[in-house]
Amino acid sequence: MDKENVLVIGAGVAGMEASLMLSKAGKKVYLVEKQLLIGGNTIKNEETFPNMDCSTCLVAPIQQDILQDPNVEVLTLSEVDKVSGEQGNFKVTIKKKARYINMEACLGCEMCYPVCPVELSNEWEGNLGIKHAVYVSTSGSLPNVPRIDPEHCLKLNGKDKNCNKCVEACMFAAIDFSEKDETLDIDVTGIIVAAGFGTFDAGKLENLGHGKFSAVYSSLEFERLFAKNGPTEGALTLRNSDKKPESVAIVHCVGREEVGYCSSVCCMSSFKHAHFIKHKLPDCKIYNIYTDVCLPDKSYQKYYENTKANNSQLLFQSDPKAMKITEKGGKLEVSYKNGKDTNDTLKVDMVILANSFQPPSDLEKLTKSLDIKRDSFGFIEAEPFNLGSVETSRPGIFVAGCVEGPKDVQSSFIQAEAAVAGVLTINVE
Amino acid sequence: MSEKIGIYVCECGPNIADKVHIDKIMEDVSKLPDFQDKELVVRNHKLLCSVDGKKFLEDEINEHKLSHLVVAACSPRDHDSTFIGVCKKTELNPYLYKIVNIREQCAWVIPDKDKATEKAVQYIHAGMNRVLYQDPLFEKELDSNPDVLVIGGGMAGMEAALDLAGKDRKVFLIEKEENLGGKSAHLTQLMSRQGSNLNILHQRISDVQKNKNIKIFTNTVLDKIVGFMGNFEIDLRNTKDESIIELLAGAVVVATGYELLDSQKLENISFTEKDNVITALEAEKMFSENKKIGSKDGKEPKSVTLVHCIGREDAGFCSKICCNYMFKISNLIKSQSPKIEVTHLIKHLSLPTKHSQEYYDNVIKNGAKFERYKTLKLNGTNLEYSDLNNEKQSLDSDLVILAPAMMPAKGTAELGKLLNIDLHETGFFQEAHTKKDPVSASTDGIFIIGSARTPGSIFDAIQQAKAATGKIFSQLIPGEKIIPEVMVSEVLDAYCTGCQTCLNVCVYDAIYFDEDRGISVVNEAVCRGCGNCVGSCPSGSIRTRHFTNPQIYQEVKEAIR
Repeated sequence: MDKENVLVIGAGVAGMEASLMLSKAGKKVYLVEKQLLIGGNTIKNEETFPNMDCSTCLVAPIQQDILQDPNVEVLTLSEVDKVSGEQGNFKVTIKKKARYINMEACLGCEMCYPVCPVELSNEWEGNLGIKHAVYVSTSGSLPNVPRIDPEHCLKLNGKDKNCNKCVEACMFAAIDFSEKDETLDIDVTGIIVAAGFGTFDAGKLENLGHGKFSAVYSSLEFERLFAKNGPTEGALTLRNSDKKPESVAIVHCVGREEVGYCSSVCCMSSFKHAHFIKHKLPDCKIYNIYTDVCLPDKSYQKYYENTKANNSQLLFQSDPKAMKITEKGGKLEVSYKNGKDTNDTLKVDMVILANSFQPPSDLEKLTKSLDIKRDSFGFIEAEPFNLGSVETSRPGIFVAGCVEGPKDVQSSFIQAEAAVAGVLTINVE
Repeated sequence: MSEKIGIYVCECGPNIADKVHIDKIMEDVSKLPDFQDKELVVRNHKLLCSVDGKKFLEDEINEHKLSHLVVAACSPRDHDSTFIGVCKKTELNPYLYKIVNIREQCAWVIPDKDKATEKAVQYIHAGMNRVLYQDPLFEKELDSNPDVLVIGGGMAGMEAALDLAGKDRKVFLIEKEENLGGKSAHLTQLMSRQGSNLNILHQRISDVQKNKNIKIFTNTVLDKIVGFMGNFEIDLRNTKDESIIELLAGAVVVATGYELLDSQKLENISFTEKDNVITALEAEKMFSENKKIGSKDGKEPKSVTLVHCIGREDAGFCSKICCNYMFKISNLIKSQSPKIEVTHLIKHLSLPTKHSQEYYDNVIKNGAKFERYKTLKLNGTNLEYSDLNNEKQSLDSDLVILAPAMMPAKGTAELGKLLNIDLHETGFFQEAHTKKDPVSASTDGIFIIGSARTPGSIFDAIQQAKAATGKIFSQLIPGEKIIPEVMVSEVLDAYCTGCQTCLNVCVYDAIYFDEDRGISVVNEAVCRGCGNCVGSCPSGSIRTRHFTNPQIYQEVKEAIR
């Protein structure tokens, strides 16, 4: 077997960092990503705390390095199916879905999507925008190549076998309906799992009205609303209207009690949202309703002080379960229990719910394929936890980023770098 | 050598082709009056960055034996490296190539097709002017030393030493104190998912001592360091006998830890030696020695108040771990007697790891109470504080335990200066990039881990030690050469007046003064080509290769015509 191969699962910041480091160390890396684009959740952010680097500026150079690195083979639309063998000698089966676009020929000119007659809700954009059956998740996706969704493409699902609109629009003959799903078998010495995170479905908390009232957004939905490459091109307008909110309540710790842990980044991202709103709508009233303020880095307190000084009114709620959001006369009424254990009510135009991080919804399947343990919350467990381990219950398989537990971008990089040390130690021996 | 310039216009599919007249560009470029004495090869291609396009370009360079190459295409951010890669496959030195951006700077931003075409010709012309003034540059290879100096023998430093040391890599571990172990030598238990810290610590110390590839120097500090990644020359100093030890290493890991804020210095805190007021670290030390936490007279306290966030505002940051740490103390007290009344006075709970919340729930289950404060005044064992509703409260207890902020260890700033690495405004070391390069310091080859970087737990310290190990494993491979940047500054000896202005502006410490010759000299292995020195030199005697004044002038004079 080829001694130099490593498998990295997930092309978010942790997976990409690990891949580039392994390539630098002379390894051949298979970087498996289930979505059609690389970059993970970080690229959904317009800017990132605490120093507000634009996330494209932060991540795009890494994405470019990944796509241009001859030692990194990026397998998008792919998932790990089976893993046998052991540390130093794993045999991995990967299922790769057809893209129906020839990646060598396609230039990303975007001529094919406007002609597609199918319109679908774009879940990558927090369902705030639409996409076609031939689509990229968002403009600026890398690799800059669309995919055809076989479930909804009229030609592929058989509803209109004669539909050829995208083929006619493509100047590079890049569309290839004959492409088939593939199965790949590879041999690797070590594996890094960096499969990212999902989020707590705020709709489960009926008292908060997410999914019921259109002006209630989750954190990531708001992030896409604010993004210049998002569905409104960054205009902060309420769903399905041109109206800009005059007041916004940002609720921290949504789902914290239900999931059983603090997600450690939501305070900072909620303060960032206050900063975003103030920046675009200087007269907007902003309220941050918190239970605890979690600022786990040397540079975070200053950010919080700044939020207090400039942007937002900070309101303490003593019992998140007692919060109730209702709609009255076109306004949202947010009622919550304050520090005196009495109720206060705010009337606002928009609510942003900072919902908890959770393991990705399909993590169970992946961990079964890998035969590695998960903790009581469903994240991947590295033991011994207290000693900063990044090795999973199966020797030779390491974990990095939010799939191990909620964390910020910085901590994801640290774990990726630590996982690389682990993988490189296998090969040294 | 006769000059033969190849000019290749990429259509970028419809991206460029639809917005400019490609034929007109080719024609105008071929007819440029000031290039009539040069041999030109002008071609276009549908997509130069494609596999076909790259092969085409490679064949063209070889076939025409081009002396210079201009590619008119997209932003250099997209494909500069692609075309450099093509040059590297041929005889053409990649520094005799120039990319010209006619997509983002012409096709995409100028709606009038004729004007966009005119501008594209102008920019290509500028690129042709420049490329003729470019010089071939050649990469050098330098030997590198894979060995690592680790500063600080606490948990982070020991972990780094153990992870890094191997048959191809030696580690020099220095500790300023008499013994290894650092601050965690006082801890009995680990936080959250408890386990014996002391067992782990002793195991680690013994592992480090037994490891043949780790050389330990106690009572030793860094005295001097010069060089760059792969080649540092280091002087260590023994603080007992002042002797100097010289050694060589390729990288340095800094793990010098933290110290607690002296709470006595805070205006709102006042107590004397006799008062039953101690820090959490002292409480744990007490528990580890006597198996109980008691008052100073040895009696068991009836009530204990644990005050979180001491000095947080003054320090300017949350120390991240004190909440969890106080939970541990709380549980230790409850384990010695559940009857002791334990009250936590908190500002906010900071529980940033997935197991912290269950740890907190466990503390509540054990009967500890939590009260929130906005401001407080401690006078002996009496606490006066304002609660969330700004109401004044008073609390007396038999024992008060404080969690003061974690501050940078004494000597952090001096060490930073010695290593030429930046400090964060809080006084801890500053990361090379806060997010994407968090364990690297601002100087290549130097890494910062543990609470010297930012306050954190043993979990954090160890994970960062592993991260630094990963970085070193991938950057400093035993037996491999390192290739320093070639676009660096050079001093033109004849013009240098020896004023040393450049030494002050160089952020990489890459320039030194040659006393014998009376001129500044650039250490090319350290220089990153930022150009600070070029701008500051009053006599114009420094230039940065590939960005010389004539090169820039030749390009700009046409581009802004």
